[in-house]
Formats: sequence, structure tokens, C-alpha cells
Amino acid sequence: MMVEYTKTEFLIACASSHVKDGEMVFGGTGMPLLAALLAKETHAPRSNLISEAGFIDARPREVPLSVADSRYYYGCSASIGLIETLGFLLQAGRIDVGFLGAAQLDEYGNLNTSYIGPYDAPKVKLPGSGGGNDIASSAKRLIIMMAHDKRKFLKKLDYMTSPGFLDGPGAREKWSLVGGGPEVVITDMCQMDFHPDTKKIRLKSVHPGFTVQDIQDNVMFDLIIPDDVPTTEEPSQEQIDIMHKLDPNGIYLGKGG
Amino acid sequence: MTEAEVEDKRITLAEAAKMINDGDGLFWGGFGYQRAPIAFAHELVRQKKRNLTVYTCGSEVDLEIMAGAGVASRYEIAFSAIEALGLSYNIRRRVSEGKLAVEDYTNLAMAMRFLGGALNVPFMPLRSMMGTDLVNLRRYRGDDKLKVMDCPFTGDKICIVPSLQPDYSIVHVQRVDKVGNAQIDGIVGEDLEGSRCGKKLIILAEELIDNAEVRTRPDQTKIPAMYVDHVVILPYIAHPMMCHDYYDYDLEHLMMFHKMTRTEEGWQEYLDNFILGVDDHHGYLVLVGWENLHKLRATKPWGY
Repeated sequence: MMVEYTKTEFLIACASSHVKDGEMVFGGTGMPLLAALLAKETHAPRSNLISEAGFIDARPREVPLSVADSRYYYGCSASIGLIETLGFLLQAGRIDVGFLGAAQLDEYGNLNTSYIGPYDAPKVKLPGSGGGNDIASSAKRLIIMMAHDKRKFLKKLDYMTSPGFLDGPGAREKWSLVGGGPEVVITDMCQMDFHPDTKKIRLKSVHPGFTVQDIQDNVMFDLIIPDDVPTTEEPSQEQIDIMHKLDPNGIYLGKGG
Repeated sequence: MTEAEVEDKRITLAEAAKMINDGDGLFWGGFGYQRAPIAFAHELVRQKKRNLTVYTCGSEVDLEIMAGAGVASRYEIAFSAIEALGLSYNIRRRVSEGKLAVEDYTNLAMAMRFLGGALNVPFMPLRSMMGTDLVNLRRYRGDDKLKVMDCPFTGDKICIVPSLQPDYSIVHVQRVDKVGNAQIDGIVGEDLEGSRCGKKLIILAEELIDNAEVRTRPDQTKIPAMYVDHVVILPYIAHPMMCHDYYDYDLEHLMMFHKMTRTEEGWQEYLDNFILGVDDHHGYLVLVGWENLHKLRATKPWGY
């Protein structure tokens, strides 16, 4: 039977598949939070969901709108603070997976969440790093989630807020960064990962309904295309049902979803 | 044991805001939607303070109010948005107009700067920001924004950020006694470090408790009285944001605020109605409506 799903549902299911059981996960809000919760409800029940505001081992019964939302509190096993989560846990190398979104991404997986336009006369001031740069610097693996828009996938960022592989092989080591860098970029058209030697972005899988050419036409950087590009696995009905149980009011999934 | 006479540190919101001088630096407490000192931001606006520098990790509506009303001209922050609701339009406009300068850091970097100030050391090392534009691009702090150096012990690259000891720390908590023992429920964000880094500390609290009550649950005292200079007691200090175990955020008001700030005209209307149009915090609460406020009361055990 064909499973019907929205772009958002697809992204969340796809992202959740990258969380492994028993991992320490920085949850945030929005789609990453739903992805982490979905993983916990399905294949990764022992994963530990952490919010940078200080909530540890969280099991929210309603989706939080803020990383500091009290909805993160009930059912968590510790409620502490920022030095605890970003310092003792993250910077000390104890976080396995972080999720980030961005307004712009370059071919080394570097992220812009700060400014559109020139730094001295920005056209748009975006939210900034928050804990994003801390997470990109120190989480063992980074999962990047973005809506697919050609103008977001650039050769040169307007501003580099958070490190991917910086200017290529050896750069993270040079700056003594704790974490391993981005593992995967998930959009609503495809998944991309990074070549192990050159650290340049490459196509990993194409979502059903899109072709390799579609992807190439919708990025502004050079994308490595392997000989064999698989189709991304579709979400199951079970995953979609669980997602809607987690977000019954459609705060992140949308009312129509 | 004899009971010593204890100092009563309580003052009014207006008296507290009056102490702030134009050009002062403030540590701003609360994190995300939690325990935002909104009432204090309103009073700074009503008293027409100018050129304040605000230091915090990620406050939201309060930063929007202070930027929009022209109270603050400099922010040293990591984050500005209303999270799930979207971008901060006031900050965005003031930055584009050149009326607000934002020196960008990360959440951990700001927390470390407060920790360094609290510990009375000049700088703190951390392992974020390196290799990115957070290091390469600077505004008014110039060379004093941060430095990347070789660790004198290991030789590894390390980032150092200057500690902060602002003129005042402004921190909103759930409960306090009149001496200043301040109790926080839920998460502390960066408020432990922030409350101890300022030259003076003003505590805003929802509820006054007796010192005897403090002593029944001393583990909840996150800020002991010796750090505290002044105490302001008021209900719904964080509205339309939340205060754990006391009240939830007012989503309807938040969405209205966010929508109105989309345009300068809309923001001016909000400012005139909800901030300048009332005499004090009680006037604001009356305008929001006690019936609405009571609906936001937290339910045990959820905390919201």
C-alpha cells in the first residue's frame, strides 16, 4: 500500500533514522525535536534527549516551542542549566548527535544562521548561533536539516556561523575542534553526505519523485555524484502515526499534515 | 539562637529601574521562553533609558522590546528570535537602521563570559567558534571580542573570551525572601553565573516567602542572599513568556506581539498600548486581563 506523506513528515522520518539506540542527542525544537522523539518511540528507545537549556533525558508529553519550555521538564530525569549541557556534556565530548538547520550551507557543510547580505550592512539579521556553533564544534556527529531551496546551497556563505569541515581536510583538527563534523544533510529532495577524503559534499540518496538531475539543478555548489545513487526509504505509516501522536495539534507538522 | 534583625531588600520596580543609568551594562537573566524579566524591560522603556548594553545568551521578547523602544544600543548575545514563532523583527530593523550593534557570540561563549566574571578572572577558554566568522568578524569590541591562541600547556588551539562584570545583573526567579535568598524551579539556564557576575544584582520574584520557608528547602536556593542587592516582588513578571510551575506562556499574546512587530507601525502601536500606555506593571496586567492571566496558571505536576 502506498503511504501518503508530506515533505515535513518525510524529513522528520528520514532524520530520525540517523539516531542510533543509546545515543545522547541534542534535541532543540521543531523538526529536529520530532525526529529525535520519533527515534526514541521506534528504533532508539534508549536514546537520551537533551535540551541545551538544561533538560536531560527528556520525554515531553507535548511539543515544546522553546528549548527552555517547561514542556521539556515533566518526565525528564534532570533539570540543570547551560554550563551543564553545553559545557560538561557537549564540550567534554559526551554528545553523540546534534541537529542543526541553516539559511545557507556550503560545500564543506559550513552553516550560516546569522546574516543575509554583507556583515557591515546586513539585509537580514537571522537568529545567530545560539548553541548552534557550540553543537557543530563539539557534537560527535551533526545532522543538518534544511528545506531545499537552490539559493541556500552556495559556494560562498554570506557569514559562516557554524563549522562543517571549514576549508577542507584537516581543518577541524587544526582548530582542535572536539566533534567530528557533519554526517548528513537532509532536505525535502535528497540526502547529501561528505566524501571521506576531500570532505566535499556528495549526493547520498534521492527522495522518491526526484531525479539526480533535479538535485544538480537545485544546488549552487559542485555536488559529487556517485555512480550509484539509491532512492531514500519512504516513511512508514507507523512512523507518521507516531509523529502525529507526538504533535497532535500540528504545531510543527502543520494542520493539513 | 537569637534572631538577628534582617535587612529588608525589597524595593519597587520603578525604584529598581531608576538605579540603572544611561549607558550601563546589564546581565539579562532568563533563557528562551523561561523566566524572562519582561516587566523590567517595560519599566526601562517607561523611564526612557538609553544606550544600555545587554549581555545574555538567548532572551527573546525582552530583547525585542528593548531594541524596538531604543533603550538598548548594544547587544552581546548568541541568539535573537522568538524560537518556534520566528525571527525577531524589531532587532532586525534596528540593526538595518544602524541603531543597534550586535556583537555575536555562542551560548556557551556567553555563559563562559559570565562564569569568568563571577569567578573574577579576566578571561575563559572554550572550544567553540574557532575557524568561523564568529572569530573573523567583529563589531565595536574589535580585538577585544575574543582571541584564538595556542594553549600554553598543550599547544592546541583554544579560544578565549573576555569575562564580564556588568553594572547590574537582572534575574527573574520564582521565590525570594526579603533578605534576597532566591529560589529557582526548573532550569537555571545561565542565571547561576549571570547573577554572580554583575557589580549589583536585582532579583525580580513572583512570590515573597518567609526566611523560614527558605530553610525548609535550601536546595532550591540557587542564589543566596549575600549576592543580592535589591528585591522586587510582582506577579506575572515574565508575561507573555513563562515562569516554571507558576504560569505558562500566553501564546495568543505572543503571536499578536510577533505579528505586530512585523512592521514599525505595528510595533509602535504595541509599544503605545501595552508599555507606554500604562503607568506600571499592574496597569499592564489589567490591560492583559486578570481572567486571561488566571487561565495561564500552571497545573501540577506539569509545571505549565
